[in-house]
Amino acid sequence: MGENNIILKIETLSKHFGALKAVDEVSFEVKKGEIVGLIGPNGAGKTTLTNLATGALPKTAGKVIFKDLDISNLKPYQIARYGLTRTFQVVKPLIGMTVEENVLVGSLYGRDKRSTDMKNASKRAREIIKLVGLESKKDSSVSDITLPDLKKMEFARVLAMEPEVLFLDEVMAGLNPTEVEEASILVKKVRQEKDLTIVYIEHIMRAVMGISDRIVVLHHGRKIVDGTPQEVVNNSAVIEAYLGKRYAKEGNNEG
Amino acid sequence: MFNNKQVNIFLIIVGIIIFIFLPRFLSGYWVRVITTIFMYAVISQGMNLMSGYMGYLPFGNAMFFGVGAYVTAIGMSKGLSFLAVLPLAALTAILVSILFGLPVLRLRGHYFAIATIGMSGALLSVVQNATEITGGAMGTTLPIIDKSPEVTYNYFYLAMLALMVITSLTVYLVIKSKLGFGIRSIKANEEAANSMGINTTYHKVIAWAISALFTSIAGALYAYWMSFIGPDEVFDIMIAVNTIVIMLIGGAGSALGPIIGAFVISLLSEVVWSTFLEYHLAVLGITIIIIVFFVPKGITGTITDFVKKRELRLRKKVSV
Repeated sequence: MGENNIILKIETLSKHFGALKAVDEVSFEVKKGEIVGLIGPNGAGKTTLTNLATGALPKTAGKVIFKDLDISNLKPYQIARYGLTRTFQVVKPLIGMTVEENVLVGSLYGRDKRSTDMKNASKRAREIIKLVGLESKKDSSVSDITLPDLKKMEFARVLAMEPEVLFLDEVMAGLNPTEVEEASILVKKVRQEKDLTIVYIEHIMRAVMGISDRIVVLHHGRKIVDGTPQEVVNNSAVIEAYLGKRYAKEGNNEG
Repeated sequence: MFNNKQVNIFLIIVGIIIFIFLPRFLSGYWVRVITTIFMYAVISQGMNLMSGYMGYLPFGNAMFFGVGAYVTAIGMSKGLSFLAVLPLAALTAILVSILFGLPVLRLRGHYFAIATIGMSGALLSVVQNATEITGGAMGTTLPIIDKSPEVTYNYFYLAMLALMVITSLTVYLVIKSKLGFGIRSIKANEEAANSMGINTTYHKVIAWAISALFTSIAGALYAYWMSFIGPDEVFDIMIAVNTIVIMLIGGAGSALGPIIGAFVISLLSEVVWSTFLEYHLAVLGITIIIIVFFVPKGITGTITDFVKKRELRLRKKVSV
């Protein structure tokens, strides 16, 4: 492991789509056990960054160092087996399977070097379904459950993969305030129990503030701020990115 | 008492025993008809693993039937025994599936289906033109078994029955295993499967190799049974079309589906054929359209849905 317990290092990572620089020389580090919020307005490059880190998209330049290995040229399944995984902004349930079977697939595959025979994997899947509170729905087909339950299922599925670093891509999108509250509690609880490092992608500021140890703000593909939640909310560049220049000036005058 | 699983196993064993003794009560004609049904069930099972479970429709899968048949014919003409040539036929088909599969399984949906038709056509051309080895477009003969026709037909009936049972059992066991969950995930959502640590390319190639293995053994048995094969016949695209229809009607994504489908379609076509000699293809076509319209999930899928709905109703009643 690298110095200071750094588990994930994004190094001048870029992704260009033609002339559009969706991710432009972004660098930041994630320490083991941290929850790092990755925020920014729509189109800031959050999901693209997730796609780069998990191998879903080829990078244009830069490096993603995970546990001292550059994973930026590996395939998604190799990265998942190495211990880094993600949820999807738009849920991707395995249609035609039950909730339990979905979680079982995560448990059977996922990170390498753990017991993935059918018996152990089923046991693990059932435990995790219980942990996220989906026990009553475990035999339902994924086509028959609600969006909050689908999100819980997808969360259970990645947990069953037992990753070391988890990218949660807008897990709160489409949830009402009560459900957001519940989900936040669940994420905190699970992080402690499973010793997880989380990169938490969100564009709802409120949801991110309470949960993150540190926040990285992206805007137009570039990193503009990297700091504690308190530092970030008071930063004029962030306010400008979210609300426009006028508010940033006012905010500065008042503060 | 017995649970559902034990009842199912018991029913399957009874079914197998009935089929073993059935030829004693049937004419030679019906023994041959049912042997063909078993054969179609095997090929359809190969289709089912690829398409019903994994979502990749191998339209040209008949090529493995042709490969199995031709390797058997060539090997036996060189003096090898059937049992010696059988593993060769299977191995050749598996090699072809891996060689073609690695590039072509990257394609999705219709493109994959079309590419497999192309391969099947290419192999057909090779067989037609390599006259010195394959006998060319005229076809080739195999040694005839030195027994009475009745005994011979019984042999092939039992061999095909055994192949059908082994194929279906293999597909069932694969699907219940870790490999099977990987295969089903590819159909459900390939991107999600990949992000979950599933090496999708590896799973697709393995599934196609299993499909090729059983399809080629069916072809090998067929060649020995017929003792004469022609390229147009064993590489016929209609073999694939028939087995796709069988899979859809029996129920795609069910290990019993292809067997039930093969019986329904073949018996239906026998009945139609004997009553509407001149229009039998048209009548058969219309019947298939009607079935697909009203039983879109196939026979096994519809029964499963019905049972599930009834259970749900019973559970609701109990809870009220």
